[in-house]
Amino acid sequence: MPLHIEPLGRSHRSLLTDFQNPHTALVDYLTRYALRHAEKDLLARTYVAIDSGAGARRLAGYFSLTTVSVERGSVSPLPELNRLPRFPIPGILLARLAVDTRIQRQGLGRYLFEEALGLTLQLARTGPVAFRLLVTDALDAEAARFYEHFGLTSLGEEFPCRMVLDLRPLL
Amino acid sequence: MARFQALTNAVLDTELDLLRERFGLEPNQKADLLREMALIAGWVARQAEQGRIIEARRGEVVERLTHPALERLQGASGQPLAEQLTLSDAEARRLAAILDRGFAPPPALCAALANLARSPHLPPQLDWPPAA
Repeated sequence: MPLHIEPLGRSHRSLLTDFQNPHTALVDYLTRYALRHAEKDLLARTYVAIDSGAGARRLAGYFSLTTVSVERGSVSPLPELNRLPRFPIPGILLARLAVDTRIQRQGLGRYLFEEALGLTLQLARTGPVAFRLLVTDALDAEAARFYEHFGLTSLGEEFPCRMVLDLRPLL
Repeated sequence: MARFQALTNAVLDTELDLLRERFGLEPNQKADLLREMALIAGWVARQAEQGRIIEARRGEVVERLTHPALERLQGASGQPLAEQLTLSDAEARRLAAILDRGFAPPPALCAALANLARSPHLPPQLDWPPAA
């Protein structure tokens, strides 16, 4: 298969610098922090889409997953929140998802999201831990529309915009 | 502005001289002083980049190192990773509504689940533009 997903490792180092994206934070994270967070600090695991279609291996996109817990800032009693599970609510944070600028609008973003969702559901169904949410932060309106398409709902109105998907109905 | 700069430079020079003396260096060892400071600042910056808190402890007394430059570094390191998200009341209300509503998956989510159920999960065929 010409395109496949691999956990980021040292063997990908030579491919990182060719990655292009208009959000410099997404490029910086991949080139400077992702490997360290995955192997040394154990803060997040990054998965890279490696395309071998045109002969040479190229890094076409990536996503990073980590854990998150969601809790209320205020402790003031709100009767309408009585049905809310007791905080904090655990979840998986889709911390970053990015596609190389040169191959955008070819379905890779959708594929990466599906892979991230698949890994999350696999962990939720068969893993030794329970969690309720898939959380992400949309960087801009375009990203928010992309995630809304898959049923994620915005919690806030400003960008970066926190978005969540309740996983319970999918399990 | 120039007066301010001159004053600042004078203050900086004095502080550097005091540091040099504390480090046990001679007046002709300014390069050594800068080297030592770069080593220490580099270590501090690396800790901040990794999202670590830097504290000075002596017995029960704990003093935290805070500085705008360190906050910028911590921000750049992608701090949203593996953290707690603290919701405002308005966000908590929205989350409650999301968790309370029935299951009505949008078509794209249904398609995603169907794609995942397929084995293997078929990736798109990518068309890279020719290298410039």
